[in-house]
Amino acid sequence: MNDPGRLTRRSLSPRLSVYRWQPAMIASLAHRVSGLILVLFVPLYLWILHGMTGSTDDFERMQQWLHSGLGRLSLWFVGVALFYHFCNGLRFLSIDAGWCESRMMMRLSARVVIAMAGVAALLLAVLLLG
Amino acid sequence: MVDVIRLSVFRYDPETGSKPSMQSYEVPFLRPGMKLLDALNYIKWELDGTLTYRRSCAEGVCGSDGLNINGVNGLACITPIAGLKQPVHVRPLPGMHVIRDLVVDMDHFFDQYRQIQPWMKATTPLPEHERLQSPEDRAALDGQYECILCGCCTTACPSWWWNGDRFLGPAALLQANRWIVDSRDEAMGERLDQLEDAFRLYRCHQIMNCMEACPKELNPTAAIDNIKRKILARKS
Repeated sequence: MNDPGRLTRRSLSPRLSVYRWQPAMIASLAHRVSGLILVLFVPLYLWILHGMTGSTDDFERMQQWLHSGLGRLSLWFVGVALFYHFCNGLRFLSIDAGWCESRMMMRLSARVVIAMAGVAALLLAVLLLG
Repeated sequence: MVDVIRLSVFRYDPETGSKPSMQSYEVPFLRPGMKLLDALNYIKWELDGTLTYRRSCAEGVCGSDGLNINGVNGLACITPIAGLKQPVHVRPLPGMHVIRDLVVDMDHFFDQYRQIQPWMKATTPLPEHERLQSPEDRAALDGQYECILCGCCTTACPSWWWNGDRFLGPAALLQANRWIVDSRDEAMGERLDQLEDAFRLYRCHQIMNCMEACPKELNPTAAIDNIKRKILARKS
């Protein structure tokens, strides 16, 4: 059995700092990060909504902010996060349901979702900058 | 073909009080098909007898020599040297208490294995001979029973690194699923009751490192998902 007193004196072997990131791991972590970005966007969204519905001047001011560099960057982040979270969410749901559960499909689906998010990020950047 | 293999090996001796470090070695390429374990053996027998690691069968059956090899867990005895990027970084299984060098304390890992009660539970009277299975029922065990408990999957799991005291980890859950899908076992409800817990089972966030790390090419993520579906099915 374990002896906690003995164990605490020993070093833990390195883990996150040495473990090689693989597509499935990146896909899972990106899912958490994109979810966090979407949650953090809620107060920003409410602030934008509140600003746009105050008066005509407020509306124009908010529109100007949305067209500024920071505004466009925020929209880009949220757009990419939403797209990625949706796609990978579908991937997770399908795996939960027992579809695409083979090792090959788990690997392939992670790569496909990451690639799709990359393309979407590029397209959205072109759309917002154009 | 390279003549010399460069290795960078994790060294740690708690008795000396020194900090863990990486030590470089150069090992001659001994033969085609040479495995990482052969290189470690060469170091141990020819260069530095103080290097400590576990080994036994040397053919991927006993699961003793699970290591972190160039950042991914695997068995040294079945990992060909030829395919590895040099210098080959060899570290102990991640997130484990190091006893010395590449040897880690597996007590907690095996405690968690015991927690899932890895034996057949049946209350019906024993048949005259053995409990029979149909070929289909037997086939359901494929991909479950082959686990050798090397710990490569569990120690590759970030959820287990951070919640290993309560999350059972991929290996124990794969083994739990092995008994859940066994047609001869009559304690599925009891097993699911034990597993239905926010930490024991549901700390799995589908990171899938376990599937990537398994040297026997099993899929603990799929096994965990199957347990979740069984729990959901009995509620509906």
